[in-house]
Amino acid sequence: MTLLEVNDLSIRYDTGDAEVHAIDGVTFSIDRGETYGLVGESGCGKTTLAKSIIHLLDHNGFIESGEVWFDGTLPHWEDENGDPRREIVEDDRYPVRDDGMTDLAQLDTEQIRDIRWRNIALIPQSAMNALNPVYKVGDQIVEAVLRHEPHTPEDEAHQRARDLLERVGIEPDRADDYAHEYSGGMKQRAVIAMAMACNPDMLIADEPTTALDVIIQDRILDELDELQKEFNVSILVVSHDISVMAEICDQLAVMYGGKIMESGPKTEVFQQSANPYTLGLKNSFPTVKDEQTDLVSIPGSPPTLLDPDDECRFLDRCPFAVEECRSSHPPMYDVSAGEESRRVTAENPQIHRSACYRVDELETMRTEASKEETWQATTQNR
Amino acid sequence: MTRISARYLGKRVVVSYITLLVIMTLLFALLRSMPGTFLASMITPEMTPEQIARLEEVWGLNEPLWVQYVDFMVNYQTGEFGMSPTRRVPVWDVIVRRLPRTLILFGAGFIVAYIVGPLVGMYLGWWRGSRKDKSIFASSLVMYSMPSFWVAWLFIWLFNYELGWLKSTYMFTKFPEFEWTIVTTLTDVLHHITLPLLSISFVGWVGAMLVMRPSMNNVTEEDYVFLAQAKGLSERTVMIKHAARNALIPVATQAIVGLAFLIDGSILIEQVFSWPGIGELIVSSVLEKDYPIAQASFFMLAVIIIVMRLLTDVVYTYLDPRIKFGGGQ
Repeated sequence: MTLLEVNDLSIRYDTGDAEVHAIDGVTFSIDRGETYGLVGESGCGKTTLAKSIIHLLDHNGFIESGEVWFDGTLPHWEDENGDPRREIVEDDRYPVRDDGMTDLAQLDTEQIRDIRWRNIALIPQSAMNALNPVYKVGDQIVEAVLRHEPHTPEDEAHQRARDLLERVGIEPDRADDYAHEYSGGMKQRAVIAMAMACNPDMLIADEPTTALDVIIQDRILDELDELQKEFNVSILVVSHDISVMAEICDQLAVMYGGKIMESGPKTEVFQQSANPYTLGLKNSFPTVKDEQTDLVSIPGSPPTLLDPDDECRFLDRCPFAVEECRSSHPPMYDVSAGEESRRVTAENPQIHRSACYRVDELETMRTEASKEETWQATTQNR
Repeated sequence: MTRISARYLGKRVVVSYITLLVIMTLLFALLRSMPGTFLASMITPEMTPEQIARLEEVWGLNEPLWVQYVDFMVNYQTGEFGMSPTRRVPVWDVIVRRLPRTLILFGAGFIVAYIVGPLVGMYLGWWRGSRKDKSIFASSLVMYSMPSFWVAWLFIWLFNYELGWLKSTYMFTKFPEFEWTIVTTLTDVLHHITLPLLSISFVGWVGAMLVMRPSMNNVTEEDYVFLAQAKGLSERTVMIKHAARNALIPVATQAIVGLAFLIDGSILIEQVFSWPGIGELIVSSVLEKDYPIAQASFFMLAVIIIVMRLLTDVVYTYLDPRIKFGGGQ
């Protein structure tokens, strides 16, 4: 069952003289209980995309166009079952669809605050510094509970905070401690506990493990995994770390220059990569299995996205570029059709898709991409 | 709360006491190095050398300097401030009458400045770069550059001379045509205190604002502020409870310095408004060469500042739970 359906979403940053097209016509969807990964280099727009779902952009960022349909709605639009009331669904003035999905992109700031944490919680990029140093950790969890469930008695909220901490392996009595009395891993777990305070349908985890050492990293990932099984919460993970993604994701989207270049079930994206960018990205990461191979990086640097041209975003760095790539950025093609040397635009955002005009020449691209010379050639062409 | 230990407090008190002893020594040295003695005003041409020697003996000026110093240190710490040579009354009686008046004016000024300053700084820092921020910030810098006594004159001209709304001299009406009841006393004092209070805080609040604004701006970049927003809290709650609460910590540090400046300013202001407090007393006693009074007045100001510093120290430790109490590592 679909929980989140992002449709042709574009996000821009206003920089005064020009606009940064941080996200450009992105479409994807997340099922309930699924882990969806957004992977890509710094500045590719993955964090912007994740934050924009609950309007947590910087002050100069805004949703230019597109829809963010979410299975969940504002508390005062709900009936007893948590579904939107009939009259709300039927009334065109409310951004609620017939199937009960609400368009988060159309909500105003006041309204989206009711969605934040109650429906969609977030684990920020550096969860280590996400706890306020002057308040007790437990009180910060209580604050979230009381914000969204104001009728909860205070002692009940405190009990819930202690239970949540215990759930992520922190002694309940530590609820009365301050953040500086916690270790790094404990802070991370406390933030996860806080994220679960209102029993959300979806968690956005922005680089959840970047600042942690590998052992703690592993424990946090297990923790997320267990929570997901227990509460059937969907997780949207943002990371540049392919190995983290390989471990936890069900679905994966590879982003570049504000576009999704390739997406689909994790194993297919990793094992039958069908986009020059993904192929290049894989070359630049070490694998345990074949340690003898040299790491090959993609030459060049990501585009600036300041009023970009129509051409394919990866054009300048792509060793497979042809004339057609200059016409416009390619649409998402169905990779299974591409394997049969056909070019068919993918309708379903959940299947394996790739944005490349040469998706019908997969075999050639894959063999060429594994050679180091292929990538060096692009720099010489410049 | 048990976060502050008696040991920490005790240590702060000892440090404060030592500071006071140092200030007293300085005070003694400074006043003794001024030309002449306060006896100058008592000596007349007809006096014989014996009479002058007798005067010196009475006021203890014939003793060696170190004996005078020891006497001074011991007497002051036992609450013995001596007599005023010009007023012929115990110094303590004068001080006791003057001190509360200064405390009222200065205390009110401190409270106003440190409520307005951080509040304005909070808004400007939160909305940094906006047109409102730029214009308010620029005008507050203009305020900050004005001498407080000059501002006081402007206020007197406007509110007293031109508009006639407020009184410009003394603390209350000297020869009232009304009965002294609680209500009339209060309104009368309010009529008198408003202008000096305005003059002190007009300049005083900017110092706190100047620290709060960048501090607030730094804090808005913090991840915990972002998280507070992600939690769905209202902008107000995020700004006040999560951001401003943290941004206040450096302001407490600034308050310790600002305090001394405020006292400084209130001496001038007392002079401009003939406010019958310690500041006005200092000026008149120095001019009259009434050194015992001047000495005691300076001493009282030092005590006020030291006590306030001690309080700010305690407040500071409550503001920031990361500070460990109990001293030593």
